[in-house]
Amino acid sequence: MSQRAFVKIIQSCCLRLNAAVFLKKTVFFLSIGTGVGILLQAIAFIIPFYYVKFCTVVVLIFALLTAMIRTFLKRKNMEQTALAIDRFGFEERIVTAYENLEKEGKLVELQRADAIKQLQTQHDKIRIAILPPWKHLAGLTGLFAVLIILALMPSAMKERAQELHNIKEEARNKTEEVQEVLETLEKFSQEQDLTVAQQAVLQEMAESLQASQEEFQQASNMEMIKAASQKLEYKYESAANELAALAQSLQNGATVSSVTVESMQALSEKLQGMRGTELAQGNAGQSGNTKETGQGSTSNNQNEDGQNGQSGNQNGTGQNGAGQSGQSGDGVNGSNGQGDQGDGSGIGRGTGTSSTPHDYVSIPNEIAESENLTGNAVDHDASEYFHAQNGLSWKGTHMSHEAVIGSYTQNAYEGIAAGKYPNGMEEIIKEYFSNFN
Amino acid sequence: MGELGNNGLQDPAYMAQRIAACEREIQKGIIGQQEIIRQVMLAMLTGGNVLLEGMPGLGKTRLVSIIGKVFDLSFKRIQFTPDLMPSDVTGTNIIIKNERGSAFSFVRGPIFANLILADEINRATPKTQSALLEAMQEHTVTVGNDSHALTEPFFVLATQNPIENEGTYPLPEAQLDRFMFKILVRFPSKEELKEIVTLTEGSQEPDITKQMDSEGLLAARALVNQIPIAEAVMDYLLDIVMQTHVANPYIKEGASPRAAQALIRASRAKAFLEGRFNVSFQDVKETAFPVLRHRILLSFDAISEGMTEDNIIQKILEGNGKR
Repeated sequence: MSQRAFVKIIQSCCLRLNAAVFLKKTVFFLSIGTGVGILLQAIAFIIPFYYVKFCTVVVLIFALLTAMIRTFLKRKNMEQTALAIDRFGFEERIVTAYENLEKEGKLVELQRADAIKQLQTQHDKIRIAILPPWKHLAGLTGLFAVLIILALMPSAMKERAQELHNIKEEARNKTEEVQEVLETLEKFSQEQDLTVAQQAVLQEMAESLQASQEEFQQASNMEMIKAASQKLEYKYESAANELAALAQSLQNGATVSSVTVESMQALSEKLQGMRGTELAQGNAGQSGNTKETGQGSTSNNQNEDGQNGQSGNQNGTGQNGAGQSGQSGDGVNGSNGQGDQGDGSGIGRGTGTSSTPHDYVSIPNEIAESENLTGNAVDHDASEYFHAQNGLSWKGTHMSHEAVIGSYTQNAYEGIAAGKYPNGMEEIIKEYFSNFN
Repeated sequence: MGELGNNGLQDPAYMAQRIAACEREIQKGIIGQQEIIRQVMLAMLTGGNVLLEGMPGLGKTRLVSIIGKVFDLSFKRIQFTPDLMPSDVTGTNIIIKNERGSAFSFVRGPIFANLILADEINRATPKTQSALLEAMQEHTVTVGNDSHALTEPFFVLATQNPIENEGTYPLPEAQLDRFMFKILVRFPSKEELKEIVTLTEGSQEPDITKQMDSEGLLAARALVNQIPIAEAVMDYLLDIVMQTHVANPYIKEGASPRAAQALIRASRAKAFLEGRFNVSFQDVKETAFPVLRHRILLSFDAISEGMTEDNIIQKILEGNGKR
């Protein structure tokens, strides 16, 4: 055996040793990683943990990387390999010969020759096992099996985690969406040629949308998300209308740059479009109700109210006309757009003097057919409604139909007397309310 | 070695064979005690001195005498007693009168021999014991203003009785450190004793023949010193010595650097004696006991718990990882 062959044998042993070290470390660290993964999966059975699978995979990848790094750091060099070979009964001949490979001298050469001879004659004594002990492999396989079973096993907590994740995702998307609109509104409000009233409209719009943002952020279940989405949908519509009106008035006044006006119109259209998207995204049932109701009175009222709102703003008496409160039907949540805790009376909102935005109107879901509704809704009798969390209905006090109509009629007439409505509209309003009697 | 040419003396393989033959020859005259013979051989190959501790009558003097025969070395035995004076060991200047007048002349003491058996060394006073110090370390003797070189190879084999302490002067640490090995001579087994009795009380003495001369021994020593040591083995060896200095409740004082030197030399010699030209971990392990046992000073805890130096060395070797 030549000196070269001697080195070659050590090299091949070095490769085998490093492979063995890698496998050993991989099994070790993967066992730890799998153990941690099992722990994570167990935790996911106790508390909602949506990212459990992702975390488990990350832990396993981390374990594998650790094994690779550790192998690299602990890799055997040629001297260490020679020393390892010596453990097979070579009595440190190989490492001594390898270390003195380049040295000359009678004794050194004699030693080298002795080492080469020993390696040649007893080469078969070297047995470097690459695979880790079967017990370790079996243990790792068992741990993996447990991990996979736990990962695939369904549980209520996992479903809950999924739901919570969906809520968060939805809330995040909505928040971002609203943020985008808010940023655009912020740009509009910085336009110096806007009047104080116009800026106030934008400010109110922004505050209203910010309130929705907070609502999304605080949402803890899908119902709250749905409710907040419906409010937002309405706000979008309202904001779109107001922006369109604002753009129109600015265009007429020609005091603001055409770019701003175009941007406003674009945002208005965008908000309309977004509302359309909302409708398409599973809230169709709720919106459908609104539309159905609108066929009778609500829809018309909304349009009218929009107009009235604008008029109100222009007059400096507040943006919300009585008609908006009127939309709420039995006044379930007619009071305050900042939350859904309104008293439902609609009083104060209807006067048009409030500076607080009246940002949504709610009516019971499927008035005539709702299982939650008792009594006769269409015969002007008092009805009982309970909160079902599945429609355009929020908590509020209940009032009799007569009381609501009476209150709204009174507000309408007071508005007429105060000259809040445009000329020509007084008779229409009167006729509208007289039909209820 | 007369039959050997210079080429033979330079041939490590041949010299290893000759040394092995010497060992076998010594074993012919000493029954059992193979370990003792091996360790004495190691000391001879490295030029170290040996302290033999054991009961009287275990063949210590016989061993030295046989070694002398096998290596064809001059042998002197000095019986150490409390009244032995340094000059009794080293020699002294005496006045010689001749036709030209009087003059001082140095008369060599018994130390001027290749092999010295310092029997019961702990019975002599420290002053006389210290007379050996220079000889053992420097291989010279200074009397008056003159230093006299000792004959090479020079080898001291001292003995001491572990039981009789009365009237003895225990060797100080500095002197103990000059002994390369401290060898414990155990009592032979019944079978060995039978063989010893048969051998010594019989009519026929074993025929011990010369196997090597002093020149061959010195050449072998030179070869031993060239044996390469792998870095890992050297680290292991040094770790063992360093471990005697790590805080240990059983060790009052650890081994000196001389211990590391002795361990290296002894390990090399052991490898050579076994026909190898490299030092193994096993060589270091086996030579650690005789090299370190007299260089470790036991603490009170160790003595009170009945720990011996060998127990502590064993623990150090075990604690130093699987090698």
